[in-house]
Amino acid sequence: MAATTFAVLAEDERSVEGRLDADGRALIALDDLPAALGWELRPEGLCRGDVCVPVRDRTGLEVDGAVDLVAVGAALDRPVVVDAEAGVVAFGAHRAERRRGVAEHEAPPFTLPDLEGNPRSLAEWHTKRKLLIAFASW
Amino acid sequence: MIGVAIDESVDDVLPWVEGVTFPVLLDREHLLTDLYAISNVPTVVWIDERDRIARPNTVAFGTDTFKDFTGVASGPHKDAIARWARTGEVEATPADGGGVEDLTDDEEQARLWFRVGAWLRRTGRVDEAAARFERAVALAPMDFTIRRAAMPLVGTDPFGAEFFALYQEWTDAGRPYNGLMAEGEEPSSS
Repeated sequence: MAATTFAVLAEDERSVEGRLDADGRALIALDDLPAALGWELRPEGLCRGDVCVPVRDRTGLEVDGAVDLVAVGAALDRPVVVDAEAGVVAFGAHRAERRRGVAEHEAPPFTLPDLEGNPRSLAEWHTKRKLLIAFASW
Repeated sequence: MIGVAIDESVDDVLPWVEGVTFPVLLDREHLLTDLYAISNVPTVVWIDERDRIARPNTVAFGTDTFKDFTGVASGPHKDAIARWARTGEVEATPADGGGVEDLTDDEEQARLWFRVGAWLRRTGRVDEAAARFERAVALAPMDFTIRRAAMPLVGTDPFGAEFFALYQEWTDAGRPYNGLMAEGEEPSSS
């Protein structure tokens, strides 16, 4: 299958060269993984900065010199949807972070833009009591 | 206070935040509803100075504008918030047994299909977008952050007939909400 460009929706939106194949895989060059998702494959596993997640099934992750983003999602415990027709791969939240919130009441950290487009993080208000209000126009 | 608008654009949000002095963030990608398992708005989460959740997802209203419609009175919850802000004390709530469930696989998938739909719509592929929103709604039909949020994105009035149909279905289903009701709420008043 010829290489194509598709979108990766995770913490933000990235554009990646790769292949969305008939088996539902999303294959990109191993070297492009950090640019696509912010994680890289090292001997110790999938890593982002100092944080590494061990990979149990490395052969499922690497396919003919490429890396399958669906397998990466599984290794990171994030749900993944591949929409080959639309040309997009979407990643959900790390399940472990959400579970720490719902089960252990540890507020999951997040960063979102304010209405001027400046990124703001929950950590900015550390040491304060915060009322987080999710609302909508609809 | 930190407001997070679960909306598609800043323009959608501005009319709702006139005079608001606390920071308001935009969650176009529904990252917060995914990470905090939020299924409806407005949802309030109390987060303490150690970044612990002092009181989990609670559906509550800042004013009584919607009280007649929803049965949620804002007063008692606002009083409880004021006491917590002052003293740090959280009164006994139903939270003492949990309160928020983790998302199901379907609810996770629904969020991703919603996001793909919103992405397609932004690139002008409206028919393809509509098909993804339908798929998302089929996976999580009682999740307002999916079903109602999709309405304006496919040109449907989120305060119109389709919303009232959803509201009726939701009421018939026992008004499922992933979290706590504010004080004064009667979850099965239907």
